[in-house]
Amino acid sequence: MKVSITFDRLRWEEKALYEAAVAGGLEATLVDSKGLIFEVPQKHPELGDVVLQRCISHYRSSTLTLMLEGAGLEVINSYRVAETCSNKLATSIALANSRVPTPRTFLALTSEAAEEAAEKLGYPLVLKPFTGSWGRMVTVVRDRSTLQSLIEYKEELANPQEQHMYYLQEYVNRPPRDIRAIVAGDHIVACVHRIAPPGEWRTNVARGAVSKAFKPDSELKEVILKAADAVGGGILGVDAMEPESGYLVHEVNNTVEFKGAQSAVDADIPAQLIRYVSEEARR
Amino acid sequence: MNTSCTECGATLAVPNDAIAGELVSCKDCSQEYEVAEISNGNVLLKPAEQVGEDWGE
Repeated sequence: MKVSITFDRLRWEEKALYEAAVAGGLEATLVDSKGLIFEVPQKHPELGDVVLQRCISHYRSSTLTLMLEGAGLEVINSYRVAETCSNKLATSIALANSRVPTPRTFLALTSEAAEEAAEKLGYPLVLKPFTGSWGRMVTVVRDRSTLQSLIEYKEELANPQEQHMYYLQEYVNRPPRDIRAIVAGDHIVACVHRIAPPGEWRTNVARGAVSKAFKPDSELKEVILKAADAVGGGILGVDAMEPESGYLVHEVNNTVEFKGAQSAVDADIPAQLIRYVSEEARR
Repeated sequence: MNTSCTECGATLAVPNDAIAGELVSCKDCSQEYEVAEISNGNVLLKPAEQVGEDWGE
């Protein structure tokens, strides 16, 4: 079986996946997506049986996945999953529709409506961009005057969606950590706490959070797998919080980074992800 | 494999097991490069892409 691992920035994860694929007996190729060109609707047998999409740029990733699926290739994750995960609103809708516990979330389409939504939600609240990762531009808003200032800043942004529309979410009182579960299909490959560094409330590893392994209880396992299923399944990073009221899933990541989690767990994450890719391609 | 940083001129050491697409950065000025090509022990670098607004997981 031949698997192509497409990337645009060759990180530790992509190299680990490639090595795991070779060790697993697959004919694996690392493909730099930046050099690819396609003529619609040609087939691309040189890319093999299945493509593991690992581009770090969301728009490059989803556009390439659209093209590859259009050329008849199986891509992990699918375009539908990529689009659902890369837009926080789409993720929230998918989670809510599948009755996965998730923080209360509002969409507002103007700055005036954002202020009204904030009053309904109550302060503090969290203002997030629709697209983005690593906690970038995710802001705790503690009062109305801060929201008004942020609105002024947002209105200067070039991206029309981020400029004029607002994704507001309940601020959840939680310990200074969250949960990252790496999922492949219906299997939880690894589960870690991400502990925020001193002086930082966000728990992204990209912001210095430290990963620590733990064993999820049955309730958390069910919530994680339900969240993965809600966005369409595949290789995913499910992020959850643990307030006293019970688990809440706040994000599902389409191109999950696992270097931090791998440093904390015994499981061989890339090998298990490649095993999933291999099984999916054989279906 | 050694080459030089086009930004500051310092010697830039590229690991012998590096592969095309891999990133290396200059220890002196932190300029980041992507390995474009390796042939006959010679390495060709190009400036790495800058972090984009849509980058992430």
